[in-house]
Amino acid sequence: MQKLSISFLGKDGPGIVATVSQGLSDNKCNILQVTQTILGAEFAAIFIVDVPDDITKDFLQQRLEDSLRSEGHDISVLIRQASEGAWSSKRPCQPYVVTTDGQDGPGLISTMARVFARHNVNIENLKAVLGHGGENHALFVFEVEVPEDQDIGRLNREIHSAARPLNLSVSMQHRDIFEAMHRITDF
Amino acid sequence: MLSEREVISTLDMVRNEHLDVRTVTLGISLFDCVSHDVELFIGNVRAKINHYASNLVTTCNEIGEKYGIPVVNKRISVSPIAAVAAPFGPKDMVRICQALDEAAVEAKVDFIGGYSALVEKGFARGDTALIESIPEALASTQRVCSSINVASSKAGINMDAVALMGRQILATAAATADKGGFGCTKLVVFANIPQDVPFMAGAYLGIGEPDVVINVGVSGPGVVKKAIDRALEKGRQIGRPLNLLDVAEVIKKTAYKVTRVGEMIGNEVAARLGIPFGVADLSLAPTPAVGDSVGEIFQSCGLSVMGAPGSTAVLAMLNDAVKKGGSFASSSVGGLSGAFIPVSEDSSIEAAATSGFLSMEKLEALTSVCSVGLDMIAIPGDTPAAAISGIIADEMAIGMINHKTTAVRLIPVPGKGVGEKVSFGGLLGEATIIPVPRGDSSAFIGLGGRIPAPIHSLKN
Repeated sequence: MQKLSISFLGKDGPGIVATVSQGLSDNKCNILQVTQTILGAEFAAIFIVDVPDDITKDFLQQRLEDSLRSEGHDISVLIRQASEGAWSSKRPCQPYVVTTDGQDGPGLISTMARVFARHNVNIENLKAVLGHGGENHALFVFEVEVPEDQDIGRLNREIHSAARPLNLSVSMQHRDIFEAMHRITDF
Repeated sequence: MLSEREVISTLDMVRNEHLDVRTVTLGISLFDCVSHDVELFIGNVRAKINHYASNLVTTCNEIGEKYGIPVVNKRISVSPIAAVAAPFGPKDMVRICQALDEAAVEAKVDFIGGYSALVEKGFARGDTALIESIPEALASTQRVCSSINVASSKAGINMDAVALMGRQILATAAATADKGGFGCTKLVVFANIPQDVPFMAGAYLGIGEPDVVINVGVSGPGVVKKAIDRALEKGRQIGRPLNLLDVAEVIKKTAYKVTRVGEMIGNEVAARLGIPFGVADLSLAPTPAVGDSVGEIFQSCGLSVMGAPGSTAVLAMLNDAVKKGGSFASSSVGGLSGAFIPVSEDSSIEAAATSGFLSMEKLEALTSVCSVGLDMIAIPGDTPAAAISGIIADEMAIGMINHKTTAVRLIPVPGKGVGEKVSFGGLLGEATIIPVPRGDSSAFIGLGGRIPAPIHSLKN
């Protein structure tokens, strides 16, 4: 068996997951992990799949594209060897939530992302909430993994100073506080 | 992955609704510091406080920064000084009080509580000395808080102590006359005082408590008010107006969230300091800031002003819902745990008192359903000691009969009368002096003795 990562991107509509999963099943592929989201009218999904050794990447890509096309779906397929081990599982990290809040404009995400990159902080999830707090306002929520060897106080200060010229309100909070306040979990 | 709602709700609570941890209070037992020599005793006390409290403030700040939730106050509570310094006289007590003040400055905490005596059934030697020293002790210190327990449901009311505290409150006001009787803001008389209160001025470390312990006081009146407002608005928008059952549910859920924050931060402070975590006190503690008020919750519940008919019912519902939500959020609940109604510390309550909607009589009625009691109320400087004692006796009776904590923190403002203003600054706020009930209590107070403990059966 080989472990492949298969990405799908294209116009959203009912039946995409049904077609893809049928195509995988027909080729004796076992789905190990999957994530799927919709942004506007766009569909995106990543499947991590165990694929029999006698099936090549090109063959599988062709079969999946053909079945999607025949069902009327406009979806691109990209297949590559799956990477091993999540980035954050290779080093001790702490999960933080960083938000920026203010007038929407160009350069906002890149400014914050550059600070994260400098501190070896990995963005695990990024979401924009447009219209929160008024017209042309944008709230960006970065869920990040911060390596434990990073100086949290310094990171926090740099995030704030990067956001100041853009007139953004920024917050940086350990993720556990959101879990504690809003979710009921077992011990 | 967090939902939008979870992130936005937390952000709003911190930025717009004054969500914070009101106090992390480090309790330190002083029983192992006792000595026959006052300087030796003070040396032991300073060393022990310094040993445990030196990292308190920086640890709280670091953890506050980690979670994005400020820990507004860091405080210390100690064993009742009347017990641990029992051999000493009033002059030595003052010296001990000053040493506690210095220890608070050194630890960078804003208050230290425990200049206290428990006299519900009678006075021991240390109790008499401590109570006698209070005016000078509180006038010569800034950060020390004093609490005297004069009644309990099991012992009754020590009316000699009630009479004495009426006189000592006046004497404390006189000793701090240049600051509007400021000393009285640090002096509170209790019935059924809990052993683990993290809030001032009543914080002290009871004798059944661990050697050192971290107790946390949560906050959140602003969060509760905004949650009610939002729920009412949403109900109107979807055509299903809320009733009081729904409002109680909103308060309960909000109290849950607020308590979870307090408990999480308290636990982490305790773990980092290597000290056991004690309790989360669920009290809704207001500040003078607009939007951080218990009084404004009454308006959200449909009353034009706190004090209007219906106020006691609203407070009863609020207090109970806070306890229910908080109890689910934490198994380590203690302290006072309810809604505070400190007049000068809450701009909305202060405005209601100034405009005459909240009288001393109505405040007393409110205290029968909430914690703590008649709190931070400015009264005329020429109020007779017997009248103050009478008010204390009434409040103690409510606590004693109802098996709850009640307290009195009155400030007779020297040289000022009804309608005049006094300002204490900071979290203590400002207040307009309100009248005390008329009539002469002096012969009653003069009887002294003890009101016996109530019968614990034949409930009705």
